[in-house]
Amino acid sequence: MLKLVVFRSYGWLILAVAASIVLPMVVGVFWVHVLTEILIMGLFATSFNLLFGYMGQLSFGQAAYYGIGAYTTALMITKASIPLPICMITSILLAGICALIFGYFCVRLIGIYFAILTMAFGQLVFYIIFQWYGFTGGDNGIQGIPVPLLLQDPYVYYYFTLAVVIAALIVMWFIINSPFGYTMRAIRDNSNRTRFIGINIRQYMLINFVISGMFAGLAGSLWAPFNRSIAPDLANWGHSGIPVFMAVIGGPLGFFGPLVGSVVYTFLSAFVTGFTEYWPIIIGIIIILIVLFLPGGILGTLQQKTQPAEINNSKKETG
Amino acid sequence: MTGSQIFSQFLSGVSRGMILFFISSGLTLIFGVMNILNFAHASFWLVGAYFTWTFWKIFYSPAFGLWISIPLAALTMAGIGWIIEVILIRRVYERSLPEQLLLTYALVLVIGDVIKLTWGVEDRIVTRPKGMDGFINIFGAPFPTYYIFVIGLGGFVAWGLWWLLHKTKFGRTVRASVFSREMVGALGIPVHRIYAGVFALSLFIAGLAGGVQAPISSITLGMDMSIIVECFAVVVIGGFGSLPGALVGSLIVGLVYAFAILIIPKMALVLIFVVTAIVLIVRPWGLFGTPMRA
Repeated sequence: MLKLVVFRSYGWLILAVAASIVLPMVVGVFWVHVLTEILIMGLFATSFNLLFGYMGQLSFGQAAYYGIGAYTTALMITKASIPLPICMITSILLAGICALIFGYFCVRLIGIYFAILTMAFGQLVFYIIFQWYGFTGGDNGIQGIPVPLLLQDPYVYYYFTLAVVIAALIVMWFIINSPFGYTMRAIRDNSNRTRFIGINIRQYMLINFVISGMFAGLAGSLWAPFNRSIAPDLANWGHSGIPVFMAVIGGPLGFFGPLVGSVVYTFLSAFVTGFTEYWPIIIGIIIILIVLFLPGGILGTLQQKTQPAEINNSKKETG
Repeated sequence: MTGSQIFSQFLSGVSRGMILFFISSGLTLIFGVMNILNFAHASFWLVGAYFTWTFWKIFYSPAFGLWISIPLAALTMAGIGWIIEVILIRRVYERSLPEQLLLTYALVLVIGDVIKLTWGVEDRIVTRPKGMDGFINIFGAPFPTYYIFVIGLGGFVAWGLWWLLHKTKFGRTVRASVFSREMVGALGIPVHRIYAGVFALSLFIAGLAGGVQAPISSITLGMDMSIIVECFAVVVIGGFGSLPGALVGSLIVGLVYAFAILIIPKMALVLIFVVTAIVLIVRPWGLFGTPMRA
């Protein structure tokens, strides 16, 4: 019986991990690229969802930390040939430091003001990258990022990404299910009551903001060697919209929602751009339909449909 | 820098500010009345510019073409605005802020592609009408005549909006429904029609702005994406939902940009976001807003 319960709650997870290990062996190189992208963007979206789903604040500048991560790794590899792991750690730290500075101000605001301030800081980062020709290459971006010999094969890079993303997801899972994570949910649901029980909500929000920024930085640093070229648009506000889309498609209230969103979004994007350049209009219409008719996202709607059954089952088990 | 240079830079800052005011006045009006931040507002502005180009081609006449095309484009946009409000925006008034933002953000993507499908990817150029294609001397510095018209029209729109909101029955109803939607509804006034009217009015001004913009620079895809963040800066600086705030904010952003581009060209846009961030940190409700109306 216990095994069945474990399988019921973790079965999909085990299936997903198994699929992510087996799939690359059966599909072509193109789809391996798509799968890698799904993983990196899924990590990016999950980092965004720490703020959106668990803190209840919409960040519209998440691409800034992603961009900082991507640029740090790209610049360190191309200009100084520093080993990739050190680049990645530096990317995480730099993104975290920026998130600390910007977040210090952002967590003082909520709602629309939070969204716009994160966006203003994001644009700040974007225009600095965009204009600083001498260092970042300006709107030319950085091309031909050298990848360590070991990771040059797209299949190997996929498994490398898979390992890093799973490790990052496990860390985030523990953060979300720690007392800290539950405090974040309390702040989301009622910040006043949380304050009344003696919690310094700004401090908690700031820590969460920094964690979120660090994971976005990690996603960015995975992207640079994967794509082998980067452009300032990675930090522009249009790019901040993608994790928002993914979280909403999948459902922001579940831990795996943004990942499901990333699978749907990235797969659709790869599929649709194969035969038409009009990808934005298609994803735009999908988002409009989801906002109007599936407010909880795919996972949220599925959960709602299956919830009564699950409650009945658990009653039977306890009784 | 001589005095006349400073003055002409000042005027070009004001005319840039006026374009920003056209867009952000609609943005702030929609936010103030319906509590929705319309990401797609600058996209509607761009559609207005393309419509102006289309009408300008149809009524090709160097002297009058533009004067017919701008009002036609603005009216078309008002009609589109009414339809969009009824089909989409109306459904999300009761929804959470992220859902509203997402809906309008998705509209940005849809409109971007609709423009591509309708008008293609080439840049579109509208020439300035006869009599406004030259320069006039202001304190010894040449200044484009057309900008004088832009500044004048901006002032007129500002006055017109004030008049509409404070001196007409429509305006009083709008202001009353900001205060209490239920009460206005209880008095038998169809609030949904008022909202649709406000949305249409905002898009009318956006269309007007698009028409006015058309002869200033060539019309290009993606213009909306960069100007909308500047409009957010304007609305933040002036205060969400405040029309005088939108006017002052536009002038500040326009002037900061005009002078920064002379002194530190690379940092001009960065500077605008620094100003925005500072205003948000020190005074989140902006210069003219009321505290914490989130």
